[in-house]
Amino acid sequence: MASKLTTGLTGLVVASNPHHTLSALYGKILRALTKMPQDASYRKYTEKVVQNRLKAVEAHKDVTTLEKEIACGQVEELIVQAENELILARKMLGWKPWESLLKPAPQKQWNWPPAKIDEPMI
Amino acid sequence: MAAIIRRIGCRAISNFAAKNVVAPKAVGAIRLSSTTPAPPAEDKPTFRKPNEAARLNLSNFGRYVAECLPKYVQKVQLTAGDELEVLIAPEGVVPVLQFLKDNHLAQFSNLVDIAGMDVPSRQYRFEVIYNLLSLRFNSRIRVKTYTDELTPLDSCNEVFKAANWYEREIWDMYGVFFANHPDLRRILTDYGFEGHPQRRDFPLSGYVELRYDDEKKRVVCEPLELAQEFRKFDLSAPWEQFPNFRNANPPAETVETKQETPKK
Repeated sequence: MASKLTTGLTGLVVASNPHHTLSALYGKILRALTKMPQDASYRKYTEKVVQNRLKAVEAHKDVTTLEKEIACGQVEELIVQAENELILARKMLGWKPWESLLKPAPQKQWNWPPAKIDEPMI
Repeated sequence: MAAIIRRIGCRAISNFAAKNVVAPKAVGAIRLSSTTPAPPAEDKPTFRKPNEAARLNLSNFGRYVAECLPKYVQKVQLTAGDELEVLIAPEGVVPVLQFLKDNHLAQFSNLVDIAGMDVPSRQYRFEVIYNLLSLRFNSRIRVKTYTDELTPLDSCNEVFKAANWYEREIWDMYGVFFANHPDLRRILTDYGFEGHPQRRDFPLSGYVELRYDDEKKRVVCEPLELAQEFRKFDLSAPWEQFPNFRNANPPAETVETKQETPKK
């Protein structure tokens, strides 16, 4: 028996076993992250967030207290966020965004206004 | 009896009035003793002042994005006080947008708009600007990249479905080609239209005109005949136009990001 009847959000059905789904997804994300280099910032930050959430999922068996603990929406939304992060982490393995800058911007590319008068004309 | 009560009442009122008169005198004395006038609190009340806490949050988030994606982010800046802009290399459109959409700490799930800009004097003349909105964290971010007439940008249609028509609009107006777009056609101009009307070198009147031909009894499309020769106007003036704004605030403040040391 689910703890609530509806999420109140269109198209988002109540999860039947949110703890199982969430811990499975978080496990997958952490496994995908281990393939990245140790010093990649994306890996560090995401590991921190995901491990905090995994800890909260293990600690709180009640859905309402879990939602209050994580404070980022309902469990169904948390599942969507975890799925998104998993897709992102797997794509990141191909993109390797932790490498150094691909190419610097051309000179004056980001200058604005483009014809700025630096000194008054005489 | 009633008269006595009335008298007592009058006395009470007069006593009260006397006390009241004395009290303002004391206040006046205190006021006179302070000689420096209070500084004006607000000189331009119609200006919207950016919230310092929000600015700090935004610049921290900009640093976070630059640290997570050092391969693509060239510059992070705050414009108009509290609008975060991430300026990226053109190869990183899809990774950066996917990161901003799917990361737990970003969740910019709405693509509000894609805008184009044409600055012919630059090496890469077109700028493409993505405006994103995060409903979860109630914040907005702007991602900018650049390209020229020939270099295609990656379409972000697989990240945001909303990008489909926006990219068609950019293609129609500026002629920026989007690779991997499922349906890249004109969207705003008419059938058989040639050229890209938002380019700076597109004439205001267009190249062709439509008119009804009385002999042929139909609408004909002909090359435009301009009534006068092309003239070059020299609009530069010998004096400075806006001396008061010589030292105006810069349009954007750069957020310092830690430059990653090259590895591998």
